[in-house]
Parts: sequence; structure tokens; C-alpha cells
Amino acid sequence: MKKLFLLFILSLLTVVVVACSSGSDEEETSGENNDTETEGTEETDEEASGEGEDITLRVAWWGGQERHDRTLQVIEMYEEQNPNVTIEAEYSGFDGYFDKLNTQLAAGNAPDVIQFGGNLNDFVLRDVILPLDDYVGNELDTSLHSQSMLDSATFDDQLFGVTLGTTAWGVLVNKTAFEEAGISMPSKEWTWEDFQDITPQITENIDGMYGASDFSEDGFGVFLAQRDKYTYLDGEIGFGVEDVKDWFSLWQDLRESGGAAMAEVQVSASQTPEQSLIVQRDVAVESIASNQLGAYAGATEDEFELYPYPYNSETGKNGVSLRPSQYFAAYKDTPHPEEAAKFMDFFVNNTEATDVLGNDRGAPVNSEVRKSLIESASELDEKVYAYIDLVSETSDAPYIPNLPGYNENTQLFTETEQIIYYDQKSVDEASEDYFEELLSNIEKYEDEEAE
Amino acid sequence: MAGSEAVPTTIKKPKMSKDKKKQYIIAYIFLLPWLFGFLGLVLGPMISSLYLSFTRFDLLNPAEWVGLANYQEMFQDTRWIASAKVTLTFVFVAVPTQLIAALLVAVLLNKKMMGVGFYRTTYYLPSLLGGSVAIAILWKNLFEIDGLVNQVLAYFNIEGQGWISHPDYALGTIIILATWQFGASMVIFLAGLKQIPKELYEAAAVDGGTKIQTFFRITLPLLSPVIFFNLVIELIKSIQVFTSAFIISEGTGGPINSTLFYTLYLYQKGFTHFEMGYASAMAWVLVFVLGVMTLVIFFSSKYWVHYEDGGKL
Repeated sequence: MKKLFLLFILSLLTVVVVACSSGSDEEETSGENNDTETEGTEETDEEASGEGEDITLRVAWWGGQERHDRTLQVIEMYEEQNPNVTIEAEYSGFDGYFDKLNTQLAAGNAPDVIQFGGNLNDFVLRDVILPLDDYVGNELDTSLHSQSMLDSATFDDQLFGVTLGTTAWGVLVNKTAFEEAGISMPSKEWTWEDFQDITPQITENIDGMYGASDFSEDGFGVFLAQRDKYTYLDGEIGFGVEDVKDWFSLWQDLRESGGAAMAEVQVSASQTPEQSLIVQRDVAVESIASNQLGAYAGATEDEFELYPYPYNSETGKNGVSLRPSQYFAAYKDTPHPEEAAKFMDFFVNNTEATDVLGNDRGAPVNSEVRKSLIESASELDEKVYAYIDLVSETSDAPYIPNLPGYNENTQLFTETEQIIYYDQKSVDEASEDYFEELLSNIEKYEDEEAE
Repeated sequence: MAGSEAVPTTIKKPKMSKDKKKQYIIAYIFLLPWLFGFLGLVLGPMISSLYLSFTRFDLLNPAEWVGLANYQEMFQDTRWIASAKVTLTFVFVAVPTQLIAALLVAVLLNKKMMGVGFYRTTYYLPSLLGGSVAIAILWKNLFEIDGLVNQVLAYFNIEGQGWISHPDYALGTIIILATWQFGASMVIFLAGLKQIPKELYEAAAVDGGTKIQTFFRITLPLLSPVIFFNLVIELIKSIQVFTSAFIISEGTGGPINSTLFYTLYLYQKGFTHFEMGYASAMAWVLVFVLGVMTLVIFFSSKYWVHYEDGGKL
């Protein structure tokens, strides 16, 4: 009798322990529920397209509240139209998104559909992304997608992602601040000389506001394109240490003339639109991706205008090109590759869906969808489309993907900037150190690729 | 479970042993949840991390054995050296300041006065909130260039600066944050102070001892076991500090690696640079150093820790 009782307690405890641990797993990794995955794997591998089969698709993205709301709405629409599909949304802010994804990839339970940025190449290299060529023309229609955006997701002649939007670097100018300072708005064909001339006036005329915030690594890419150079393409680095020195001294000079924010303000800059220097009125000019205009303009009362980058007066080039904002890509070991492709197709080609999504991830890549969106665009969105049109007409530079080892190299760039801000090294010395470490980082990634 | 197998040997008093057997089984049943957790969540991962520390592992491709390469690389890695410096600076400054603050406030609050319970609660509160993300965000806002600290300074016509965005001061703000959370040690000190027999103070007063003399000759020596305990706990806690630095520097350890704590760099290496083998090796170096430091404190304790009963337990 007592033995029975003990046995009972023992089994009860086991249940409790198991139940507790699986419960906390779910919480920590939000919905990485192994049950749903393994159940589906075998059954649906071959007959996934079969109607009526219950399928769970996990979709992950990062973004702000607005993007979450819009994306969730589209997911609901998709579930309504495909009653056999349940979508588990795994969304968060940008911070920690890739840390979590890396862990999931390592554990072999990554989401089926994953949003990537310009770092898609790093993940293709690691062999965790599903090539989509088998699905193009079937589940996935890319016939109306612009070729340059398809190219940007193509590696070794295989398509790995669907571009969610087109964007371009631009310069956000606070028109209200310019009026307050009594400075007339510059021409849209301004040069770096104009830029150097105008920005110190803001600092001088408005208390507590600087001209511009540092355009940083994104700006450096544009700066190189203006000189017919590039960061890195097809295994080759396309610039020299002199270019790095020129870029850093340009901003060093701007800080000295008062045109750019002082070190401590610049270092506290945030990537979040609401807390960015321009929205906080710490600066009047900032470099952004055009699809972000809405998020920035929505966070302030001031009137913002989107400008092209300052031209290089020697080459006459602007250097801005259209670029993919984000991608959806499928996990290589997804049990439902067809369903994943079908969902991606819906996301970028279905006008009902894209009407909801709007311009949040950039201008749509599907030309017909874009047309229909422009017709119904708000005033703010019109500005963005106008800017995208301007860039696509006048672009004088090719699209250059991110450096391999994106995270590490971006960190290195920021660190170098700060070393210069706080005079720990001269521009020349810091640039040389940057270039040297960059080369060794790239070498490291090339080694990995070769293996 | 091991106990149930060990019991049926030669038994002289059957009644007692049955009781004992039952007790063992019950004890192990109650231990089960912890045992599962320990094996699955602590011991298992630790063993695999020890293995990984001898490999190159990018999280996705199979780990590749590299022997001691990760450990050798560390001593040439300038950022690793920077992170070790930041952490040691933090430990050597924050732990003593925190303990001194805790001790002084505990001595003050040990007096009989109006509302002493309220003060005790108030001073303890920060250490309850301390490790949280919310406090780190609050701290960030306090010490920003247009944060509250600078607004107060401006009131006195002092021009402040961006404390958390300047490489010379960023670590200081995190040390202040850690010091501010002295509550937990303070409560332990308070309990220790209550244990000191009143007669000793009375005797000292009769002999004409001053306040300062009694503090250094009676309070401190008799409190030394508690100081010892707090020292070890705080050392272990602060060498592993992560949350505040991660939030305040937005995960970068900046400006210019000035808040690149050891654990933060470990996290970066593992999860953003895809070098999990290197990160594992870093973790084991941390365990080793922490072990050595704790041992040193333990061995030194015989020279400065006084037990009232002569150290016999």
C-alpha cells in the first residue's frame, strides 16, 4: 500500500517536472514547440501541398509596433484564406533578434519563414537557407519583381529570399528647424561643400541643436560609390585606407566647425526612430533608409523632408542606389517548404496583403502592387515613393551587399568612430587600424566560405 | 534512487531501517525536481561547454577540434584584455565601496530611533530591483547628456556631460549603480551586528573607549565572519555582472569598450560573432579565475576572520 502511494507520488512529481520544464521552454523561446514540428515533419514532407492537412508555419520578423500590427493583420488574412494553415508569429524588436535566431538555428528548430536584412548573405554562407528556385513559377511568382531586387537575393545563381521592399539611403532634413534658424532649405542637388557650409549655421543659430549627426557606416558606403568604389563585392575589397581616412576626416572637420554633433551627443544616438537624435531635436539632419520616413515623421511635430545624399562635386555623383530593405527567406530544414513559399508569395504579391503592409518595409518590389499602392498612398508615403522614383531614375551606383561578417564589422566601424571622437588616436592611425582589422575579419570569413 | 539500492544490506534493527529507508526515498523524491534541473540545465551544459572550448564552433556547422587554440588566442585578443581590465576594475572598486556603504548604513540603522523599520526597508529596496532591466534603463536616462543628473547640476550652474556616452565615465556610472544596491549585504550586516553581545560595548564604555575605538576593536573583528561571507558573495556576483552593462551600452560595451564587461564580450563572441568555441573557453577561464580568487579569500580568512567560538563549528 505504502509502496503504491510512493509510486504515485513519484509519477506525479515526474509529471510536474516534465510539464514545468516544457512550459518554461515555450516561454523562453516563444513557441519553439517541438511537438508541432516533429509531428508535421514526416507526414507532410511529401504531400505538403495536399489540401486540408493541418499545418503550422512559424514566421519570425523584427520591427516596431506598427510593423507588428500590419504583419499580424496579413497573417490573419492568410489564415482565413487557408484554413488548414496555422501561423505562429514570432516577432520582437531588432535587439536580440539575431541572437535568438542563431540559437534556434543551432538547435535545429528555427522558424519556417524568417526575416533577414542585408545580412542574408552571412546566413546563406552558413548553409541554413532554403534555395527557392524549385518553387519559383509554382508557389512563388516573381515575374513582376524588379530584377535588381531578385539579384540581391541571388547567390551562386540560386534565389534565396523574397525582397520585402525597396529602399534607398537618404538624408532626412528637419524643415521646421531650418525655418527657426532662418536658413533657406538647400537645393536637392547639394554637394558636400554645401553640406559643410550649411550645417554649422544650424548649430550656431539654434540653442542645443547641432547641424547633423554622423552618417556612419551607411554613409561611408554611399561616399565610396560617389568615388566609383565599393566596400566588398565578389570576394574583393573595393576601397583603400585613403578612403577611410578621407571619410573620417570629413566628419572630424564637421565636428570642429560645429556642423556635426559633438562626441557625447553622437555616441548616445539611438537606432530607434522615436529616440533618434533628429526626433529628439539634437540634430537637424540625419541619414536614414527611405522606408523609415513614416516612422521618423510620425514621432515628431516637426516637418521632415527627404533629401538625396550630398553630391560629390568632383565626380558629380550621388552614389545612392536602390537597395532591398528586408527579405523573407525559408529555413533550410523547414518541413513545409511549399507552404513557406506560398506564404511569401501572398505577402508580396497579393494586393490585399500589400495594401495592409504599405510602405513599412519599403516600396513593394512587385511593379503592379507598387502601382496600386501609389494610387492610394498618403501624403507621407507619396514622398517616399517620389524619392524611390527619383533614385531609380538618377541612380549612378550599383547595389553593393553588406560586408561579410556584418555584426563584427559594424561594431568595428562604430568603435573606430568613437576612438576618433575622443581623440584616443589620430584619424590616420585609427583608419589604418580599422582597415587592417577589417581585412583580417574578411579573411576569416573567406576561410570559412572556402571550407 | 541510489539510496534505495544501498539500503538492503545487513540490517540489525529492522524497524529503524525501514523508517530510514522510507526517509531516504522520500528525501530523494523531494530532491528529484532539483536533480533533473541540475543534471539537465547545469551539469550537462557545463560538460558540453568544456568540450566546445577546445573546438571551433559557429553554432551551425559541426564543431571542429582545435585543442588549446581558443585559450591561446585570448591572450593576443586586445578586446579580451580590455574586457578583463574592465571587469577587474569593476570588481576591485565596486565590491569594496558597496561593502563599506552597506556596513556604514547598517551601523547607523542598528541604533534605536524613530522609524528605523521604514529606513531599513527603504535602503533594502534597491537591491530587490537592482538586477532588473527597468533599473538599467532608468540609470541610462539619469546619466544621459540631457538626463536628470545634468539637469540638477545645471541648477547649480555646473555643466555636466554625457556620463554614459563618455569612455572615461561610463564605467563609473555602472559602479555607482552597483554600489546603490547595497541593501542585501546591509541586511546581513544588520543581522551580524545584532549578534554582538552588548556587554562588550558596556565594558568598553567603562574602560573609556571612544566610539571609533569600539568600532575598530569590537564591531569589526566580531563582524568579520559576516564581512567574509558578504565579500565572497559580492565578488562572485560582480565578476559576472551583465544586465546593466548590456542595457546601458545597448549590447555594444561602448563607448570604446569602456563597459565591455567580460560576460558581455563572451555573449558577443558566442551569439553575434558566431564563435561559440571561443566563448566557451572564455567562460572556463572565468570559472578558473573566480575559483582562484575565492580560494585566496578563503585562505586569507584565517588571518583576519575571528570567530567568537574560535572557529569551531
